[in-house]
Amino acid sequence: MTTAISVSGLTRRYRDHLALDQVSLEVESRSIIGLLGRNGAGKTTLLRILAGQEFPSSGSVLVHGAAPAENEAVLRRMVFVREDQTYPDFRVRHALRVASWFYPHWSAELADALLADFGLPAGRPVKKLSRGMRSALGIVIGLAARAEVTMFDEPYAGLDAVARQIFYDRLLADYAEHPRTILLSTHLIDEAAGLLERVVVIDRGRIALTADADDLRGVATAVSGPMLAVDEFTAGRVVWDRRRVASRVSVVVVGGLDEADRLRAGSLHLDLTPLTLQQLVVQAAAQPADTLERTSA
Amino acid sequence: MRTWRDVARYHLVVPWAPLLIPWAILAGSFLVNLVIFALAPDGQHTVVTSHGPVSVPNATSGYTGGVASIYIVFLIIGLNLVGRSLPFALSLGVSRRSYYAGSAALGVALAVADGLVLAVLQLIERATDGWGVRMDFFRVPYFLAGPWYLTWLTSSVALALLFIYGMWFGIVYRRWSLFGVTAFVIAQLAVVLAGVLLVAGANAWAGVGHFFTGLTAAGLTGLLAGLALLLLAGGHATIRRATV
Repeated sequence: MTTAISVSGLTRRYRDHLALDQVSLEVESRSIIGLLGRNGAGKTTLLRILAGQEFPSSGSVLVHGAAPAENEAVLRRMVFVREDQTYPDFRVRHALRVASWFYPHWSAELADALLADFGLPAGRPVKKLSRGMRSALGIVIGLAARAEVTMFDEPYAGLDAVARQIFYDRLLADYAEHPRTILLSTHLIDEAAGLLERVVVIDRGRIALTADADDLRGVATAVSGPMLAVDEFTAGRVVWDRRRVASRVSVVVVGGLDEADRLRAGSLHLDLTPLTLQQLVVQAAAQPADTLERTSA
Repeated sequence: MRTWRDVARYHLVVPWAPLLIPWAILAGSFLVNLVIFALAPDGQHTVVTSHGPVSVPNATSGYTGGVASIYIVFLIIGLNLVGRSLPFALSLGVSRRSYYAGSAALGVALAVADGLVLAVLQLIERATDGWGVRMDFFRVPYFLAGPWYLTWLTSSVALALLFIYGMWFGIVYRRWSLFGVTAFVIAQLAVVLAGVLLVAGANAWAGVGHFFTGLTAAGLTGLLAGLALLLLAGGHATIRRATV
């Protein structure tokens, strides 16, 4: 595996706030990475800097070993379709035609298939498209470009569940045939969880967590039961969240549980539920930074 | 270079805007002038003297200045084309440098092609004695009144200049929106004012006057070309750090 993207000490400061604060990140080529985090966490700023649309205040960004800003050798191997992408005054088919000129591996076949899947009318002016249709257009361009580094920023804003499923299916199918580096920022964490190989959680401009999606699945568990039993079970463990309803308590325990732990929980009449990726991200974002670093280490 | 060409094609993906709008507007202006010239008495006017009204031939012939409309349209096209289509180009991995170069190259190519058409129309105008109504629509005294190749050169340079000027406005708007454009205009006025004060301070108005009266149309064209290069550099400096 080679490194496709390497970010170190990346900071982007706007007048009154810090959008990115000392972000460091390595992305392997030919993998699907989910960029997760709340609104305003810095996901879009990070992607814009990677795509050379924005400039860093400090720190370095390398894509395929070179800085992307104004570097055509690197930029021409990337595509970045944004949630708020603006287009000139033209029609859907014009947008696709233009995009096809800039990508040597552009697949007109795939673009046509996706247009049909999404029911996107090729002759409609882009500015007359609904929000969901605009998102679909971005997805068509991003996938059909078959660029080595493909970045999607909230690609399915306004898309219905069926269309989102089409996106996941098409993305995976095309990725299997034409592996590339795909960066995907999203709020719909559990929905996208199935296709992510790696997860990067950004919170308030900092990397809160980076991990393989598979490793994260067992990393935190909700433990609930009578208060005394829960306290006994969680003694000496890292506990994130504690809720109490009447005499029952529910806490989130960080760290994997082994078979002995499970047996012990059973004998204490405790319920164990693994946290979904989404719950984990919500929990991770609520923790002070040092707790997170311990977890991701 | 390949990217430049693709950027130019990108601007022409809806071709009628940059290719046809200049001619549509020019045709409108031409028709209005043609109707006026057809209705107006031919090349003379009446002067009332002590001996009664006397018909006197006009001192200047039928200059309209209507051809100026195409130059204004080029400014607007440059402005409109470049600001709006930058974000999508950057999404597709085009560098600002290539985007700018490709856009400017398209503007120059359009200017050269349309300049040639203007020169040809001027030839027709001369051959038909002003479209049969003694109208000088494509001929502008001093500026566009020489041989056809000089008309071609001068109009190409002037059209390219205005396209590039328009592009710069478009980029300024893209970066700093209306506030930026206002500041941009004020800055240009300040430059002009500084020039005026400098000339006045050095008491050099006579020299400036001599310079311009001695300037040929070809010399003026060279001056405009220099100005175009200056504006081209200014636009480039502005787009270099533009973000979307």
